[in-house]
Amino acid sequence: MAKEIYYEDINIGDAMPAFTSDPLTRTHLVRYAGASGDFNPLHHDETFVAMFGMPRVIAHGMLIMGITSRAITEWIDNKCLKNFKVRFSGMTEPADLVDLEKTKARATITVTGNVVKKFAEGGENRIQCDIQAVDALGGVKLTGSFIAALPSK
Amino acid sequence: MADKSKLGMEFSPYTFEVEKGKIAEFAMAISQKEDKDQVNPLYVNREAAQKAGYRDIIAPLTFQTCFPTWAGGGLMPIIQTLGINIFKLLHGEEEYHYLGAIHPGDIMTGKAKVVEMYEKEKKDKPGKFMEFTVIETEIRNQRGELVIKSRSTLVER
Repeated sequence: MAKEIYYEDINIGDAMPAFTSDPLTRTHLVRYAGASGDFNPLHHDETFVAMFGMPRVIAHGMLIMGITSRAITEWIDNKCLKNFKVRFSGMTEPADLVDLEKTKARATITVTGNVVKKFAEGGENRIQCDIQAVDALGGVKLTGSFIAALPSK
Repeated sequence: MADKSKLGMEFSPYTFEVEKGKIAEFAMAISQKEDKDQVNPLYVNREAAQKAGYRDIIAPLTFQTCFPTWAGGGLMPIIQTLGINIFKLLHGEEEYHYLGAIHPGDIMTGKAKVVEMYEKEKKDKPGKFMEFTVIETEIRNQRGELVIKSRSTLVER
């Protein structure tokens, strides 16, 4: 849960606390498929993706957005959020359990962000924070931003 | 290739009843946890949510993604109606405007509409185009309050 953060305490350029996921496994993908109802076989069936010449299943983009949302709400309370948007830029392959140490980097997502704007809108004090989710090899998964209305002191 | 005559088309509304078990399941999935006691208490614990100023348990920021899949038949009918080639489909962008909270027991109705269809030339392949289809959805609760506006951009490579 996020602690209360005040508008006056935030400055343009401030970094949000970085958040790093556990290495994504196929089990995480299956759990997300069930929870979200997105059963596209691209995300769980290796015999399906083989037809496209892909070596592995890939994570749902919306799971990466969900992990990114977790990074945000560990910093800013949900009720402050006004807008959250992402552009998907790279696919995420899960780690292979038979070779976890060598494959976990591609499946470990770190979310970072910086405050780029402070402004008044709708009678509220709002911040815009630009964000990105990147794997441990430097591969960008998504970029985006969120807008939050913060209380004043 | 997406059928441009479908611009402006509205899809039949879907209705999804929010259950606290579904919120917990979704929260565990995005949190990579196997137990609901390990996720943000706002998503699973009514007392914790009320202490934080909410009426009841709330849903994670991307929870509404499960409404059309579980209540509206999912993406496939939309893809087929629009003539989009599933083998070339990518999820390009997703955006949410938050206007209110979602709680267990809420009955959410979503109305989706095709608001933009356009193409862009591929940077690495001049003369080849990518097709973009933008779908906006208004999600209201049982009191008719607009809770979320979403915007999804589908891309055909």
